[in-house]
Amino acid sequence: MAALASSSSSLLFSSPPSKLPSPSLYPLPRLSLSTSSFLSSSLSISPSFFAYPTSSRRYSAPSFTVKASAGEKKKVLIVNTNSGGHAVIGFYFAKELLGSGHEVTILTVGDEGSDKMKKPPFNRFSEIVSAGGKTVWGDPADVGKVVAGATFDVVLDNNGKDLDTVRPVVDWARSSGVNQFLYISSAGIYKPTDEPPHVEGDVVKADAGHVGVEKYIAEIFSSWAIFRPQYMIGSGNNKDCEEWFFDRIVRKRPVPIPGSGMQLTNIAHVRDLSSMLTLAVENPEAASSNIFNCVSDRAVTLDGMARLCAEAAGLPVEIVHYDPKAVGIDAKKAFPFRNMHFYSEPRAAKDILGWNGTTNLPEDLKERFEEYVKIGRDKKPMQFELDDKILESLKFAVAV
Amino acid sequence: MSKLVVLQPTKQPSISLLPSALSDFNGTKLCQIQYKRKVWQPKGALQVAASSTKKILVMGGTRFIGIFLSRLLVKEGHQVTLFTRGKAPIAQQLPGEPDSEYSDFKSKILHLKGDRKDFEFVKSSLSAEGFDVVYDINGREADEVEPILDALPNLEQYIYCSSAGVYLKSDLLPHCEIDAVDPKSRHKGKLNTENLLASRGVNWTSLRPVYIYGPLNYNPVEEWFFHRLKAGRPIPIPNSGVQITQLGHVKDLAKAFIQVLGNEKASKQVFNISGEKYVTFDGLAKACAKAAGFPEPEIVHYNPKEFDFGKKKAFPFRDQHFFASIEKAKHVLGWEPEFDLVEGLADSYNLDFGRGTYRKEADFSTDDMILGKSLVLQS
Repeated sequence: MAALASSSSSLLFSSPPSKLPSPSLYPLPRLSLSTSSFLSSSLSISPSFFAYPTSSRRYSAPSFTVKASAGEKKKVLIVNTNSGGHAVIGFYFAKELLGSGHEVTILTVGDEGSDKMKKPPFNRFSEIVSAGGKTVWGDPADVGKVVAGATFDVVLDNNGKDLDTVRPVVDWARSSGVNQFLYISSAGIYKPTDEPPHVEGDVVKADAGHVGVEKYIAEIFSSWAIFRPQYMIGSGNNKDCEEWFFDRIVRKRPVPIPGSGMQLTNIAHVRDLSSMLTLAVENPEAASSNIFNCVSDRAVTLDGMARLCAEAAGLPVEIVHYDPKAVGIDAKKAFPFRNMHFYSEPRAAKDILGWNGTTNLPEDLKERFEEYVKIGRDKKPMQFELDDKILESLKFAVAV
Repeated sequence: MSKLVVLQPTKQPSISLLPSALSDFNGTKLCQIQYKRKVWQPKGALQVAASSTKKILVMGGTRFIGIFLSRLLVKEGHQVTLFTRGKAPIAQQLPGEPDSEYSDFKSKILHLKGDRKDFEFVKSSLSAEGFDVVYDINGREADEVEPILDALPNLEQYIYCSSAGVYLKSDLLPHCEIDAVDPKSRHKGKLNTENLLASRGVNWTSLRPVYIYGPLNYNPVEEWFFHRLKAGRPIPIPNSGVQITQLGHVKDLAKAFIQVLGNEKASKQVFNISGEKYVTFDGLAKACAKAAGFPEPEIVHYNPKEFDFGKKKAFPFRDQHFFASIEKAKHVLGWEPEFDLVEGLADSYNLDFGRGTYRKEADFSTDDMILGKSLVLQS
């Protein structure tokens, strides 16, 4: 029924009219979008499963698993950022693809010898090499040269935040015959809403750099998928996440959280992001022309994250709330998460790719804390200037 | 509407009648509500075909959910009996309900008058009648269910209206059906009932709504906001106002109840049933204003710990995040809510409060305590 291995089946999944880039990515307000998708699905030819939901409506028959290219091995190029919260995505993705028998090249931006490469995950790239992957360095604008003329089936850009940076990669991929283009965007582009969560199809901030990239990819490629992540934990992370809480908890310092602490956010183990990307590579027809919130399937409050970190560490925690404006500090500098609800759900991945989240923060944070201690970070001398300023303004005495 | 016709799938047409049935209750103002999303049925799900008429007992059915559910059941061709004490009329014409439809319903709906707490009567009257399916809309305690099960040994399905209130409070959200429940919650009777059903070997289905809203709501959810908006009063909201809650329209809930009837995939399963999206407290105040055509309200936040409201409730929602994922119902049943929040609130307003009807008189005494104090602080 749903096993579509033959090439003729690809016709059934060729985008129905409603899957034109602009309606899929940037839908009109809900009512009219639904109307147009309604009509287009009514124009489609039977059988009834042809009227497959567009990216804005994700109701798949549960028995419907698309494995059109299951078993086919792909040549994948990952263009990876050299720093920041997303860096670790390429590392896990590379290893998972290699483990599944695909060929992987990971192109890291910049120079192999730069100081940035001394930090995780780059200082663990030997793991990619020993698994059979290739690691190269260079400027994504010269990607063709950097990969020395190699060709690929799939490209993941896990680097650019604006069109100027990603366009050369997209153009080269198209001209060199890449079939599928994947892009790590950001759930940060969703417009804030009174009605969480952010779901795929919701309005995004028109001026966000990622938005221009998403649009361009959809114009140039017929097989594309976009992934919008939030925060991540996982060994090899380039940017602090849970460590911010551990730093304070192990030193018996209060944890200052801006606002009410009730703000919801999404913190996923990076293996969940990797598995979603892998499903897209292995099910390109299903993934095609879709946006996926690349997050775990539970949100956590900021207070909740502090509590879970403390439980993982087996230590007590004291949470202190403050108003950044009243204290006179920039919350962005003082706290690693957005001071607002920042909450998306991975509905498209579950509906369309049959993806399931495995992030289990209570368990995963235990493992993270073990590593935190193992590398000796709990003993590392640290300054907490901004914390002290906050606590001082709240007239909070900290034992020295 | 033409698009409904076009979208008739080759699957069971009886389910697809639902949108038009529900639209009967829309007033003329609601032309902007489009039954835009077709309910997709998963393959293999047993559907309620018009030919399999059932003898159905509804425990309750004259107050809110049951009013909508019983109409859908009668429209589907089932023989429907409402078990109530008779305090409310068995049938009353609803705003927007055409005369012909109402008289058809009124002529067909049956009444079994009794007190469900009278277990002996329940057992004897039910066993005398015999029913294929029981919808238990108003059950609170497990002991209320036992006589029903005892009376109907060949019962095909026991469909229970439980509550998302059974979930254990958590820092990880949304609540999903697999999550821990709280044996000490205010809703432990619902939990005990679910456990009893599971232990008795009967084919049961349990739906867990969050906050239900819609015309005829007797819980002052949207009504609480409408009273203040109409009076031009500020809306006092406890603490930050970013607490997230979730409303589910009663008509969508009724539809879910229909979709689990005779559905193999619903057998011995629990489903969260509510709206597609959640909403912050502040956002809900704004949505009510938008739906009812009022200007954006003034919202006043306060610390509830600074007040003693006595027995009165200063705000109709629990002061915490409280919302549940409906993805299981969507995936397994192919059910999905028709109403967006603003659409649903408009439906409620236009068919109920906006016509001058409501259940509880406005009581602004706690508001005045809050506003009085904030005025003092400002001066």
